[in-house]
Amino acid sequence: MLHRFGYAAPAERQELLDLLAERAEYGAGAKLLAGGTDLLVNIRAGASKPALVIDVKKVAGFSGISWSETEGLVIRPAVTINEVLRDAAVLSRFPLLADCASDLASYQIRNRATVAGNVVNASPCSDMAPALLCLGARALLASSRGERELPFADFFRGVKKTAIRPDEVLERIVVPASSAGARGGYRKLKRIAGHDLGIVGVALSRKDGRLRLGISSSAPTPVLVEGLDEGDPVEKVVAAARKAISPISDVRCSREYREFMVETFVKRLMREVA
Amino acid sequence: MRIRVVVNGGAYERDVEEHRTLLRFLREDLGLTGTKEGCGAGECGACTVFLNGKTVNSCMVLAVEADGAEVETIEGEAEGGKLSAIQAAFDKHHAVQCGYCTGGMVMSVRELLRKNPKPSVAQIKEGIEGNFCRCTGYQQIIEAVLDVSGQLGPENQGELKYA
Repeated sequence: MLHRFGYAAPAERQELLDLLAERAEYGAGAKLLAGGTDLLVNIRAGASKPALVIDVKKVAGFSGISWSETEGLVIRPAVTINEVLRDAAVLSRFPLLADCASDLASYQIRNRATVAGNVVNASPCSDMAPALLCLGARALLASSRGERELPFADFFRGVKKTAIRPDEVLERIVVPASSAGARGGYRKLKRIAGHDLGIVGVALSRKDGRLRLGISSSAPTPVLVEGLDEGDPVEKVVAAARKAISPISDVRCSREYREFMVETFVKRLMREVA
Repeated sequence: MRIRVVVNGGAYERDVEEHRTLLRFLREDLGLTGTKEGCGAGECGACTVFLNGKTVNSCMVLAVEADGAEVETIEGEAEGGKLSAIQAAFDKHHAVQCGYCTGGMVMSVRELLRKNPKPSVAQIKEGIEGNFCRCTGYQQIIEAVLDVSGQLGPENQGELKYA
C-alpha cells in the first residue's frame, strides 16, 4: 500500500514551472513523476513520502526525441528507454546510448522508465549516465526564473544528489552533434539478465582521436574519465580509470572485485571498440 | 480523482485515490484478479498488463496515470470462452504449474510475438526477462512460444536442451 499523496498532471510547461516555484513550500514533499519505476518503488518502501506527485508526462512539448545538425540529439522528459532503443537517429548516430539503454532492467521497465528519470535519480549505478558522460551530453534545467545548462560531468553531486534545484525540472537532455558517430560500447556486470542493479558498468567511446570512459557503480556518482587519446596504451587508460573511481564494498561485491572488473571491462572494450 | 479507462474493451469511470496503483484498481475496484502482485517493485512481472498497447508493470503505475488510457489484461486474452493460441500452447506444453506468473507471462509473450512473430530462443528469453516463473524453469514456456510461433521441430531440440 502506498501512503497518501496528491497528484497533479500539468498540461502546460508554465503550469509545471509555477507548481515547481511553489515547491519550496513542499520542499522534499513534492516529487516529479515520469516513468515511476524508481519513485513508486521508493514510495512503497517508505523511502520517499511526497505530499504531492507531479506527473511531467502530460506536459506539452515534454515528449519525443529529435535530431538536427544544429541542436544535436534532444531527449525530452517523457522519453522512455524503449523509445531510445527504437529511435533511428540514436541507432545510426549514437549507438552507445542504445547499448546502455538495452542493458537497463527488463522490457516492461524499459517501456516505462525514462532517460530523464534515470539520470535525475542520480543513482551511482545509472545505466544511461555512462553513455551521456562519454558523449558530452548536457542537461537543460528550466524554472520560472529561466533556464540554465550544464554538462552531465557537473550534474551528479553525490549518491542520489544532483545539481537540480527544488524549483527546476530537467527539460531537455542534449547530446551534441559533435559526438555523432562516436564508436563505443558498454559492459555491465550483473547477476541476472534483465534484473538486478549493476555491480559495475563501463562505457567507452572513441571519436576524433579522443577516448572517454563513463563508469557506473564505482563511486558515489557515475564518473567521466577524459583527457585520454585513442592511441594511449591500455595501461594508461586502466590507470586513469582506477584513479577516477572509489568503489565501496557492499552486499553485491567487494571494493577489490569492482576495481578488478572495471579494469577487465576497460581492457575488453579497448579491444572490442576499434 | 475521477478517471475514465477502457479495460479489455469495456469503458469504466471511477473515483480513485491518487495513491492507488493500477494493479490495485484492476484487482480490487474492477475485480480483475488475473493480474497478480508478486514483488510490488517491478522485478517479477506477475502484474504485467498492456497500457496503451505497451506492456508495463501495473504495480508501478498509478491508476490516475491511466486516465484516458486503454488497458488490456489476461482476462481479455481468451475470446468467447476459447483459449487464445498462446494460452492453448501454454496448456499443451505444461507451461503453467502454480499459475501465478502465467497472466503476466502471457502478456509478455503476446507483446513479443506482436513485434517478432518468429523469435529465437535467445529472443524469447529476452522477451520474458521481466517475468519470473519459479515452477517451470522456463523450459516449457519457451517450448510453448516456439510452438505457437510454428518453430517447434527437431532442428531446435539441441538448442532447447541448453535453454
